[in-house]
Amino acid sequence: MRLRVFHRTEYHYSAPVSDSVNEVRLSPPDTRWQTCEYAFLSVLPACRLTHYEDLNVNRVHRFEIPRPHQRLLIESRAEVITRPKVDFDALPYGFLHTDLPRCRFLEECHIHLQDSGYIERTPEIWRQALDIQGDSADVFQTSYAIMEHIFRNYRYESGLTTVSTHASEVIGNRTGVCQDFAHAMVALCRAIDIPARYVSGYFFDATRDHHLRGSEASHAWVEVYIDGFGWIGLDPTNNKVVDDTYVLLATGRDYRDVAPVTGTYYGSGKSAMQVTVRVDRLPEGSNGNQPGAEEKAATPAVASVRGGR
Amino acid sequence: MGIVSLCSMFQSYQKESFFDEMFAAERGEVFPHYEALLERFDRLDEAEVTEKQRRVDRGFLEQGITFTVYGDDRGTERIFPFDLIPRIIPDAEWQTIERGLTQRIIALNLFLHDIYHEGRIMKDGVIPEDVVKTAAHYRPEMLGVDVPKDIYIHICGTDLIRDGEGRYLVLEDNGRCPSGVSYLLENREAMKRAFPRMYRHYGVRPVDHYPELLLKTLQHVSPRPGQTPVCVLLTPGVYNSAYFEHTFLARKMGIEIVEGRDLIVLDGYVYMRTTKGLVQVDVIYRRLDDDFLDPMVFREDSVLGVPGIMDAYLRGNVALANGVGTGVADDKVTYAYVPDMIRYYLDQDPILENVPTYLAWREDDQKYMLENLARLVVKAANESGGYGMLMGPTSTSAEREEFAAKIKENPRNFIAQPVVSLSRHPTICEDHEIEGRHIDLRPFILYGEDVEIIPGGLTRVALRKGSLVVNSSQGGGSKDTWVLHR
Repeated sequence: MRLRVFHRTEYHYSAPVSDSVNEVRLSPPDTRWQTCEYAFLSVLPACRLTHYEDLNVNRVHRFEIPRPHQRLLIESRAEVITRPKVDFDALPYGFLHTDLPRCRFLEECHIHLQDSGYIERTPEIWRQALDIQGDSADVFQTSYAIMEHIFRNYRYESGLTTVSTHASEVIGNRTGVCQDFAHAMVALCRAIDIPARYVSGYFFDATRDHHLRGSEASHAWVEVYIDGFGWIGLDPTNNKVVDDTYVLLATGRDYRDVAPVTGTYYGSGKSAMQVTVRVDRLPEGSNGNQPGAEEKAATPAVASVRGGR
Repeated sequence: MGIVSLCSMFQSYQKESFFDEMFAAERGEVFPHYEALLERFDRLDEAEVTEKQRRVDRGFLEQGITFTVYGDDRGTERIFPFDLIPRIIPDAEWQTIERGLTQRIIALNLFLHDIYHEGRIMKDGVIPEDVVKTAAHYRPEMLGVDVPKDIYIHICGTDLIRDGEGRYLVLEDNGRCPSGVSYLLENREAMKRAFPRMYRHYGVRPVDHYPELLLKTLQHVSPRPGQTPVCVLLTPGVYNSAYFEHTFLARKMGIEIVEGRDLIVLDGYVYMRTTKGLVQVDVIYRRLDDDFLDPMVFREDSVLGVPGIMDAYLRGNVALANGVGTGVADDKVTYAYVPDMIRYYLDQDPILENVPTYLAWREDDQKYMLENLARLVVKAANESGGYGMLMGPTSTSAEREEFAAKIKENPRNFIAQPVVSLSRHPTICEDHEIEGRHIDLRPFILYGEDVEIIPGGLTRVALRKGSLVVNSSQGGGSKDTWVLHR
């Protein structure tokens, strides 16, 4: 699927602020499942952009605005080709809970089995996770059940939580938005030793009535590690196995690792933020789905005379 | 790549040493996307070609698709010569162009915002402040002004050429009033009529939604959101060389075409005089240079402009497309810095490269220029349309001396580039011989809510044998440009 993403974040400060230092994680990486055709980032007030790769191998862009300003605008434009991640007839069953201990020794899993800033494993979370697991012996099946549990029992409501709400609070209140749902799911998975990480990104709502939740801003979901398959995405906000309608931006232990925009500034002014995200599906040019392309082959005007080499 | 037996028209075609758009090598080894076209032309005889050409030309003339040549006393209305062989760009190639142009327009808009605000790119020493502030079209009036949606260049025409290896290079950006899009749209219509069957079967990406996209781009910057914006096209009048295009675009977008005297500024708002009284105008697509826009601010002898329009613009009561002061980006010295801008603002390498450029105000460059005038193309920083340039290899020593003096006198104003042997494309020439002629490409980029580029652009052909100058005012013609679905 060819998806075009437009992500605009605008801050207004009620009084001029200065010495603003910012980091953004807004460039979709190339992965097994997606190819980033381009990603252009523009920042106003205009300034020099630099980048580095963080410990989770996310591309981070950095910029500084020392002079007083009352508005900061960050726009990202990207085009990504996504490929179907999962074959729904062959989901990665077969990795058993009894095999989980060996994940602890895998470099890419280790940090995703520990507590992190927004996520700690409490006895209560562990108890709930065990209840959800029931008699399941399969890691994917359990992960799926945790996702479904959150989707069925948690209320999607914005305004009740903030960007810094902890997983344990979410699990206690069973309310929140995609970020909270993802935190809760990561906590529940880690509590029973399933390596789980937090993912930020976008998705294209391909449903006819656009009933999926979270497409109006950047989205968040979870990836769990299945030995033999790798990381597989599960979206507890929409109860979906992540497929080619999703565009991955960054992965990390929790929101703090992947926050699309973070920064600091000096100034006492109140800040107001406005976010616009648009994901459009584009026709797949190179796949030749266009009507003209097939006709061309059928027309006698092009037949024969081809010498070949 | 296929080998096609060349009969009739293409038989004596000489690729020579240039990059040819159609033939990969001598003896009919043709790029796959041209194969079907070649078959079609091989089945044509001379009479048919003459007939098709005659019909197309008559169509252009009857519709008044003409342009004016300045400095020519004879009949000034001419049709823009049209060549029946279309230029074809495969999808993959186009995608690179599209990406490169998108990257470029984002950088140019950030640059313009920067130089009219804090000027950080100058403070960081990436682009010398002198260069920006001495640009002929730099407008200090715009300092500190916030333009609607922070967009300066809404419509950009960027000229691309291909070098001897077939690489696309940017030759220049036109960020003031790029023209030519009407020819692009009319060429497509002409081509559809001349080869209806081939066109339908080729899988060509359409271009006819351009006026719709343009209108959307204009409406995007309306200062009165929520209301249907009133957009108008401001023309300098019937004597302008692009007047046909102005009427054409206004008609296709369904907006009024106005001259300066049709607009009036009252209390900081712009109104259009109509038979039903005054109507407030939100967005002005102006095809008039900054200089003539407002006699109160710029040239006071301008009778084409609207007194007070800058005041309304600075107050944010009306949007102008393109914005005021974008000419800095057209300056050929600024052009040389665009790759640095892309690295600075976007933290990326440019997808489309520039033609290597020597700047006369850099001492070393100037020395090199003066020593090698006979091998370089020298251009004045702020002229367009092929005026004010020196083609080194074909120049006389008197011309070279004249330019050397000019360069020394005003180094800021001159740049030089190596002669790029532009790619050639088979073109129907006199006596229906098909010969290779040099071409370029001007895609049109729209920057509104999204960056939109209609597939292809205007392909211009230097019709004179050996000529590298494609401008219509200098004996250029054009071709339809086909971007394929795949």
